[in-house]
Amino acid sequence: MTPTTLPQYVATWLPELIAAAGNTLRMAIFAFLVAICLGLILALTRLSGRPILAGIAAFYVEIIRGAPALALLFLIYFGLPSLGLVLPAFLAAVVGLGMNGGAYVSEIYRAGISAVDRGQREAAQTIGMTSGQTMRYVILPQAVRIVLPPIGNYAIGLLKDTSVASLIGASELTLRARDLSSEYFMPMQIYILSGAIYFIMAAPLSAGVRYLERRLRQGR
Amino acid sequence: MTGWRHFFAILPDCILVLLGGAVTTIEITLGGLLVALILGLVIALLRRSSFRAVTALAVAYVEVFRCVPVLTQLFVIYFGLGQIGLRLSPLPAAIIGFGLNGAAYLAEIYRSGIESVPRGQSEAGSSIGMTKHQTMVWIILPQAIRVSLPPIGNYGVGLLKDSSIAVAIAAPEITFDATNLINQTYLSTQIYLLMALLYIGMSLPLSHLVRRLERRSRRGVRA
Repeated sequence: MTPTTLPQYVATWLPELIAAAGNTLRMAIFAFLVAICLGLILALTRLSGRPILAGIAAFYVEIIRGAPALALLFLIYFGLPSLGLVLPAFLAAVVGLGMNGGAYVSEIYRAGISAVDRGQREAAQTIGMTSGQTMRYVILPQAVRIVLPPIGNYAIGLLKDTSVASLIGASELTLRARDLSSEYFMPMQIYILSGAIYFIMAAPLSAGVRYLERRLRQGR
Repeated sequence: MTGWRHFFAILPDCILVLLGGAVTTIEITLGGLLVALILGLVIALLRRSSFRAVTALAVAYVEVFRCVPVLTQLFVIYFGLGQIGLRLSPLPAAIIGFGLNGAAYLAEIYRSGIESVPRGQSEAGSSIGMTKHQTMVWIILPQAIRVSLPPIGNYGVGLLKDSSIAVAIAAPEITFDATNLINQTYLSTQIYLLMALLYIGMSLPLSHLVRRLERRSRRGVRA
């Protein structure tokens, strides 16, 4: 049965778009995991007090934050094959978005760690904690509270940025919408529908971050 | 490594082509920023309106545009409007798309700027007989915009990089020109690296400028 009215069209498109939105979510979650781990490593390296390692980490953060995420995705997906490393589009997107996000997340961590009062560190050292113990038991637990809202905002941004992965042909919501609109010649309806799906995924996250922000502010 | 030798032979031409694209990148960035600056201020002010419906509309605008990828918005404007007979060229479509999207972000920046102005300022304004409107224009906004400048600057640097997405609607900016060069030369690694360097070369000095602005305005508040 070929669809004739808009509701029928929507009924045809919706299952496909929802399946693709699942890919979008998966991509966002994997890239988020890469970013928060890489970000923590970068932030701790920058605060480690070893000038060469800290310099490399700072350089990475500056360079990555200076270039568009799209440039990194293109380099990984189109550039690496000439060095003999071919990644599937989905994996390239996860790696690229994760490497890109790591730089931003490390700055969030760094701001959070330096926002913890200096007296806390001194107090921990007074009772004989090593600097590793101080970081683990005293500084990081407090820093986590400070960094949660900006990390949440980063996650929302990441969820939307996965749309860029469609430009390297990674299978996700925007790519599916593009395919459907070239099949049905109804880009307006299809892109608005895909936009609505993004909205449904991002709006609760955004409300959650605002709630978190308010609660953490009250806590102080 | 013949690729690199070939690349260095054609490097000057590549740089010229990409610099041509950089002009369009700057046009999209400045055009989009201008639209966002004006529309964002309008939305921030509408949000403070005493009419509930107007406030709700402004809130809805901000939420919708912030929760949908800018790429989707570009597609709706470029392909969607084209379908209903309003065919825009890629460049104006990109400027409008980034402008409408940015307005939502800048409205939030203006809002927190306006909220950061101490309440005594608006009370002082009304106590010397200024109307609510005059107080906003002559007392609150000048201070709010000063506070908003650093985050607006950060937004602008972000936009410079995000404008690369306009390649998806074939706006002839840096990423588009780089992709064309690669189609001719097959030197994807080299040319995308060059492209990334060009973006870095433009955005890093700008973000350092914004950081200096941040430090200066922080000092100004304390003094």
